[in-house]
Amino acid sequence: MEASRRDFINVAIGGMGVVGALGVLYPIVKTLAPSAASSTEAKVEVDINKVPELGIRVTSFKGKPLFVVKLPEGASQKFSYKLNESAKNSAGKHNQEILGDKNVFALIGVCTHLGCIPLWKPQGADISGGNPAFHCPCHGGFYTPWGDVIGGPPPRPLWVPPQKLEGNKLVVGEPGFVERLV
Amino acid sequence: MIKRIVDWIDERAHIRDIYREQMVEYKVPKNLTFPYVFGVLALTTFAIQIISGIILIMYYKPLIAHAFDSTNYTIMKEISFGWLFRNIHAAGANFFLAIVYLHMFTGIYYNAYKKPRELVWIVGWVIFFVLLMTALSGYLLPWGQLSYWGMIVTTEIPMSLGDAPILKGLLGAIGETVSIWMKGGYKLEDLALGRFFGLHVLFLPLTLLLLIGIHLFLVRAAGISNPDGYEIDKKNEPEKVVPFHPYMTLKEGAYTMWYLALFFFFVFFHMSHFLPADNFEPADPLKTPPHIAPEWYLLGFYEIFRSIPSKFWGFVAFNLSLVFLLILPFLDFSPLKSARRRPLFFIMFVVLVISAIALTILGTMAPTPTNAKLGMFFTFTTFLFFLSLPVISFIEWGWYKAKGGQS
Amino acid sequence: MSTWGMIKTVFFTGLTVVFFFIIWIKNPFAPHHEYELPEEAEKIVFDPKAAEEGRELFKQNCASCHSLRYDGIYLMSVTAKPEWEKIEKTQGKPIIEEKDGKIHIRGYFVPRDVYEAVAISDLLGLKASFGKIPPDLSTYYLARGPGYLYQFIMDPQKILPGTTMPKLFFPEFDKEAPEKVAKIVAYMRSVNEPPPGEKAKRTLMGVATIGYFILMGALLWIYRKKIVSQMH
Repeated sequence: MEASRRDFINVAIGGMGVVGALGVLYPIVKTLAPSAASSTEAKVEVDINKVPELGIRVTSFKGKPLFVVKLPEGASQKFSYKLNESAKNSAGKHNQEILGDKNVFALIGVCTHLGCIPLWKPQGADISGGNPAFHCPCHGGFYTPWGDVIGGPPPRPLWVPPQKLEGNKLVVGEPGFVERLV
Repeated sequence: MIKRIVDWIDERAHIRDIYREQMVEYKVPKNLTFPYVFGVLALTTFAIQIISGIILIMYYKPLIAHAFDSTNYTIMKEISFGWLFRNIHAAGANFFLAIVYLHMFTGIYYNAYKKPRELVWIVGWVIFFVLLMTALSGYLLPWGQLSYWGMIVTTEIPMSLGDAPILKGLLGAIGETVSIWMKGGYKLEDLALGRFFGLHVLFLPLTLLLLIGIHLFLVRAAGISNPDGYEIDKKNEPEKVVPFHPYMTLKEGAYTMWYLALFFFFVFFHMSHFLPADNFEPADPLKTPPHIAPEWYLLGFYEIFRSIPSKFWGFVAFNLSLVFLLILPFLDFSPLKSARRRPLFFIMFVVLVISAIALTILGTMAPTPTNAKLGMFFTFTTFLFFLSLPVISFIEWGWYKAKGGQS
Repeated sequence: MSTWGMIKTVFFTGLTVVFFFIIWIKNPFAPHHEYELPEEAEKIVFDPKAAEEGRELFKQNCASCHSLRYDGIYLMSVTAKPEWEKIEKTQGKPIIEEKDGKIHIRGYFVPRDVYEAVAISDLLGLKASFGKIPPDLSTYYLARGPGYLYQFIMDPQKILPGTTMPKLFFPEFDKEAPEKVAKIVAYMRSVNEPPPGEKAKRTLMGVATIGYFILMGALLWIYRKKIVSQMH
């Protein structure tokens, strides 16, 4: 009886000590939580009429650069690239399979290699066969306008945020023709 | 596995030996009373202040255009749990001073400042003084009306040197220079705020940390005092001591928990005194708030200053009360220790406690002529305590000799 | 413990408790003035639903002289400036409000220096006509309390003789005047006090924290007793 009573107290004090430590950590960690104000960054609306054809418009989405790309009709057929077949997005597909039928869409403008911001080259380069491409200046990554990897070190295509088209407004951050971040 | 890691460390760091020597083989008197816990409580509060302070400093901005808003908007409204840490820090400052005062009165009561513990007391006094500076500089940071005017009044205090009966010109110039240097100009602005911010968040806490370390070391070196006023011979009187751990650690641990319960009652449910209403108005250099008084921990000294009609002598008197506190071990040179065995000292101690309480409460009241007279009276009784100590010591030396050197 | 020891303990403990009660909780000696809040007004002030209407009333009646930056309300003459919208968006922080599960932006919190730089001619204009710049009211609920604010808005001269704040509400012509004033106070309260849900959370958190420490202390105490009895 005596021993079990003391054991109980040991366990109780130990348990309470853990609860207390967690209780102290909880509010401390919570002060580091993103502020409510930053949640307004999680949704961006872009007027697609203001994006020039075969051009991009750069805005910010969740603190990262966002490329809104406008391609001419039938771009999927017009431009052909030699893709890096192993670089697939998190849905296990190439971006073009998701975005190919849209002529306006948004990509996260961060190179998937080491986080530089790629440049838009509408006139293309040798590796893209003269077709428009994104070129990352840091280590020479090349992407198609849909963000698929053509060459260089990037391990996967550019990220595609959830987005939908409302009339002539592209709403990024809400599910539509792209359901989730891939 | 864990045991092997611990063993590996222990072989090199000898943590277990240190633990055994410092915790278990360290013996403390068995008859320590409840007030001996205040030291541990002060240490706990210091830790609370450091932790909450680190969180607040991440969001506070020491510029007069932003200080008020970063405190009341960013910390109170924007950061989740920012309000909690501000409440903790504000209540913690008050509790820290309260505990330190109780700790000091305990030390006076049990004569813990006497040989061989004079240095403990003197370092303790420096801690108290640095703590007052920390509180004063921290009070400026929210840049509310009370912050601003509290600091203006503080920087005015050295100006009272200009009222001196002799060397008026020189002392006045010194006072004015000190005052202007404290403010960093004729106006209290960004320079002063930045200065007090730096002192409050870095220099003063580091100084406190160092001083607390020395204080604790000295307590260990001189041994803890005894409520009965006898020095215990730890080797020859093993029945009078107990191991520090688990006897004291668990007891003081339990008291600390209950103290924290009380502390958090204030943090969650009664902050109106620690975050006074007037300080929610941004500082306005052209308008003094109607009832301005220092924080309660300065009121005793403030009342001594205020109740003496001459500004200069008031200044002298309140500095003298601080100095008397510092030289307490030398004012009281009696061979006897602890109020338990010194009836005359006990009476004077009660006089001191009542005077200190009365002065503090008078400090909160409006400055009417009656209150000024009462203030004078209790200032007198406060000094009576300090000045009676040498007399009591003489009498007690007589008793001591009459008993043939036996205490 | 001896009787004398008992007396001393009770005396010093009592003195300490009474002292801190006076200093920290209720000081009957300190000069202070209570401003009465009528019962009907009190009901409205503490009703979170009244705050929304109060905000509109504040904008209509107060915002020509007073800003309330913590809730994104600025002088009307400033918000009318063509560049203001851009200043708010680029220099300010959005103030978020959750309504029916949707997040929307209630206004922008613009830093004081930016706001005062933009509004300087308007503020100085107000200073010229009122003698001082009417203060920003973001924290005035905490600074003044509901009773003072209610009485002051109802009749500024009565509470603060000589003030240049005009009387805006006349119960003799407008029966709803007291109600409107109470709603404005309710709004100012809602800016400074956490919303009811959050308030309940904080209370719960407080009770849990206090309970935790009481229990933990008790456990340590019992544990110590056990150990000490085993050591003898």
